[in-house]
Order: sequence, then C-alpha cells, then structure tokens
Amino acid sequence: MNRKLIYTISPAFVAALLLFIGCKKEEYALPVAPDVLQNTAIKRTLGPNIVTQTIDFAYAAAILPTKGKLTSIQVEASIAGATGTFLENRSFYTNGSGVDVGVTVGSPSVNEGTKTTVTFTVDTSAATLRYSYVVPEEARGKTVTFTFSAKSSNGETVTTTMGPYTIAKMDMVRLLNVKTDSAYISIADMKVYDPKTAATNASKIDLVYLYRNITTSTFSHALVSPAADTAYLPNVKMPTGLTNSTKMQKVFNLQDFNLARLQFGIYIDDLDFQQLDLTNAPNYAINLKAEAGVWVQTADNKYKAYIYINSVTTSGTAVISIKRYAL
Amino acid sequence: MKKYINIAFAFSILSLTWVSCFKEDLPVDEDGLLITTRAECAVTNFELLGSDFVTVRTVAAVIDTVAQKVAVTVQFGTDLKNVYPQFTLSQDAKLDPKITGKMDFSDLANPKVFTVVSGNRQVRKPYTVNITVQPK
Repeated sequence: MNRKLIYTISPAFVAALLLFIGCKKEEYALPVAPDVLQNTAIKRTLGPNIVTQTIDFAYAAAILPTKGKLTSIQVEASIAGATGTFLENRSFYTNGSGVDVGVTVGSPSVNEGTKTTVTFTVDTSAATLRYSYVVPEEARGKTVTFTFSAKSSNGETVTTTMGPYTIAKMDMVRLLNVKTDSAYISIADMKVYDPKTAATNASKIDLVYLYRNITTSTFSHALVSPAADTAYLPNVKMPTGLTNSTKMQKVFNLQDFNLARLQFGIYIDDLDFQQLDLTNAPNYAINLKAEAGVWVQTADNKYKAYIYINSVTTSGTAVISIKRYAL
Repeated sequence: MKKYINIAFAFSILSLTWVSCFKEDLPVDEDGLLITTRAECAVTNFELLGSDFVTVRTVAAVIDTVAQKVAVTVQFGTDLKNVYPQFTLSQDAKLDPKITGKMDFSDLANPKVFTVVSGNRQVRKPYTVNITVQPK
C-alpha cells in the first residue's frame, strides 16, 4: 500500500475506534442485596460529649422480607446512661417536603442497666431507630462505647460497635439571667446569687455583673472581680466578705455551639481549658457585648471557665452561659 | 530547509527557558528579606488590638513622622499588659524589635520605642509610642 495513504487513513481509523469505545455503555444491573441481616450506625451529635447532655445516634437494620422480620433492636452502653436515655420506637423517613416522619414500629424502649431495648410490634424488615444517650456523672473523664444489635425472626443477630467516645471533664450551664448590681456569679456553684445570698456565700463569689451607661467612656456591660480596682466597680455596694480576685480575658467571635446554639460550628473542649494561660490577665472585663465571652480563672485556681454572653439589654440585664473545667 | 527551521525553533525555546530560570542575585538581610534601594523610612499607620483582637483605640492614632512619634488614645479599662500592636510601614521597611505576639504597654511613664529600618537598611528612625487612657 502506498505509504502516504497509510499515514492519511491511520489517524482517522484510530479516532473512529476511540469514538466507538467512548460511546459504548455498560449494562446496568440492579444491585443484589445480601441475604443476611444487615446493620449500620451513625453518630448524630458533634462536639464534646458533656455530662447531662446527650449523645445521639441513628441505627439502621434490615433483612430481606423473604428471609424474615426484625424482632428487636438493642443498645448496650459501657456505662449506663442517665435518666432520659432512650431508643426511639419509631422509624424515621424523610418525606417529599424534607420533614422527618416517624412510624411506630415497636413498644417504647426499656432500660435495664446498661441495655436499652425496643421490641418490634409490627411486621417490618427494615427500620432506622434513633438512640439518645444522656451522659451520666459517673462517665465524666472516661470513655463510653456503644454496641448496637438487631435480631430478626429467622434467628439472626447482627452487631455494630460505636466508640469509644471520651466524655469531657467540663460542666456546662446555659441561660442564666443576670441583672446589674444584683448578680453575683459563683463559678464553683455555677449559679448567680443576689446580694443577700452572696454575702452568705462570700468565698464562692468570683464575679459581679454590672451595667453602666457612662458617656465619657465605654463601660457598658461588665464582669468584674470583687477585689478589682474600685474604678471598675463604680457605685457598687459590695456585700461584706467578697474578696476574690478572678483572672479574666475578653474574647470575641467565640460563639461556642453548646452555649450559643447559633450557626457557628465552634466547640470549646477540655483541651482549650488545659492550654489556657491567664497568668497576666486582669481581674475585670468591661465593655462586653452580646456574643462576646470571657475566659476566667478563679482566685483559688480550682476552676477555669468560659462565660458566654448570649444577649444583653440597655436596661442593664444580660443572659449568660458557662462552661467550666475543674483543675 | 525544513530541518534548519526546526533546529532554529528548538534553539530559541531552549534559550528562553534558560533566560527565565536565570535569577538576579539580590542581597537579603538576616531575616531573609530583600534589601532594596528604597530609603523611605516611616510609620504610616498604627493599630492596637486587645486580647479579643478588637481595637482598643478610641480614635485613629496620630502619627508625627517628623517628631517620630505615635500618639494613641485607648478605651478606659483596656488591659494594656496584653495588647497586640500593628505597624504599617513605608514600602520595603521593617521594624526593630519585631512584634511576635502580645506586648505589655502598661508602663505609660516609659513609652515603648520601635525603630523603623528602610528598605536599603541604611536609614533607621526610632518611633516612640505614647499611649493615653481615656478618662472614666
């Protein structure tokens, strides 16, 4: 064959071949479900696991309808959950409008020691149940593991383990109302006292909440130690016996999700308190705004805390939330 | 003829590559910063941030490039032991001492002095930062 002709035809041939391969479709085949009982779990809550708060999971189990039905689902936690721990007896699906709809599939869950069980009362081969574990006090600083298991009518059992999850050492309290000159905050008790009760708990009072609308300076909302310079406690009638000098550092843009419940995915964890250094911090924080916060270390060095300011008003009130870490 | 054109083309590509890889050996200082020919040496802006990284100034800092002074008024109650200063300098200039984090400006009687060093590293101008706290 003529050499020139070969050079002309070959590229065209290769291009046609590539086009042919590119257009060839693989035959689609319906996936075949395994004929055994299957399961899977996901953790629904993010951030640190805090005592009294919940850790939420969704657990799904399914078996081919021809093989059998689900008879029970059980969760075993390595440390028994506190009161309020439960396994949903409804299986949820998301409808066309994006709303989660629950369908009752079993009797309400029963807690027995570390185990929480739902027994199925309807014929179903697939279900997704939600599990809500209320972190108990005894789990503080420890790890918790969860074993999810499902049983089917043909005698099969399937298990999935989740964890271990570390439970934070810190405590949390939300939405404490404070009012100027009558809010004495105790980090040790995680409480707000009025002037009368503050005097009887003098050694525990770490901070005073103040609001001053001073035209010559920016005082506004403030958290001040009882032992701070009187310039930062203008016209405050301090109850007798309050002497603590608490170290404080102002923070902005740290809207911890657990405290603020806003759109920000920021979480303060034990590690933040462990690494916090307030050596040269002052004992007052003035000109505070909503969504700001204050790192705190108590005078007796027993606690570090983060006080978040949920909201403020110009009438001298505020709502605060506290995360506290025992040293 | 075609062969010679190809050779010439390849040669020009090679020379372009060589030229683009060639770097002028400009001098750098001990911080790895380029020493340039610029002799300008001034503070053009000054900022002071609190521990929450929010400004503590009440108004813009006043910069006197002749007297080499920066005057800044801060809010009442500012924790001057833990503030972050920020300087804006003329092009290619650098600051001595360097700012590496929080600084203590609480000794108002002995204001801090920062030296601005020009791009050619030949001119050094000390600037004094005077802080005034807003009255209560």
